[in-house]
Amino acid sequence: MATEEAQEPLVLDSRLAELSRAQSWAQSLAQHLGLSEKTLYAIRLCLEEALANVVLHGYRSEPGHLIVMRNWSESNMLFIAIEDDAQEFTPEDSPPPGASEPASLESLTPGGYGIHLLRHFADSLVYERLVEGNRLTMGFSIHPR
Amino acid sequence: MTISTESMDGEITRVFLDGRLDIDGAQAIDLRMNVLAGSAKFLLIDMRNVSFIGSMGLRSIVVPAQAVRRRGGRVALFGPVPMVEEVIKASNIDQVIPVFHELEPALAALQ
Repeated sequence: MATEEAQEPLVLDSRLAELSRAQSWAQSLAQHLGLSEKTLYAIRLCLEEALANVVLHGYRSEPGHLIVMRNWSESNMLFIAIEDDAQEFTPEDSPPPGASEPASLESLTPGGYGIHLLRHFADSLVYERLVEGNRLTMGFSIHPR
Repeated sequence: MTISTESMDGEITRVFLDGRLDIDGAQAIDLRMNVLAGSAKFLLIDMRNVSFIGSMGLRSIVVPAQAVRRRGGRVALFGPVPMVEEVIKASNIDQVIPVFHELEPALAALQ
């Protein structure tokens, strides 16, 4: 099946305030593709987690760096790739919080849910270390229009 | 995201959350939740009007809940919509903060 790039890449500055632009971008993409509410929720959640990680951990909350988002559709999957030129950040390094059943609330990590949620809500998740930077590609099953 | 509270019988504080608990929403409720963390004995977090929750939103609930429990109190989540509940379950938080869809059992769990 042909690969279709649905929208122009979105370029963000490395600030949390930019996340709303990514959300609007996702919203128009969802409309264009006729995605279900559930799929849109999953995409918006994954974008929030992934982008927050890049801004807060990759770029250590420093504004002025670039984050590029691209999307394409292929074989009933929507792929969204997030590229940055930040320090290495590997989803595989983070074990899900409460990977074994958590004994108590106190043993859970307050901020450590992001990657775990990405793994749960994205149908595919591929991390690549680039020459200088990272690319995280998230895949979501979509029904054909 | 808005937050309001109501005092109920049995020293229960009911917290009403309304809106998206994304990064901005989490920041909007953090101060009030931190105050409750230090003052509330039994916390019922009414999530029926929360349309979205991400990891920052989870944090703004979990951290105050930990504080309430350390002080000998209890916390319960009430009425999350399906996608929000899926996020809560995916993070295993439901295993330590119980989730209820009926009010009476939620209140009973806090007593």
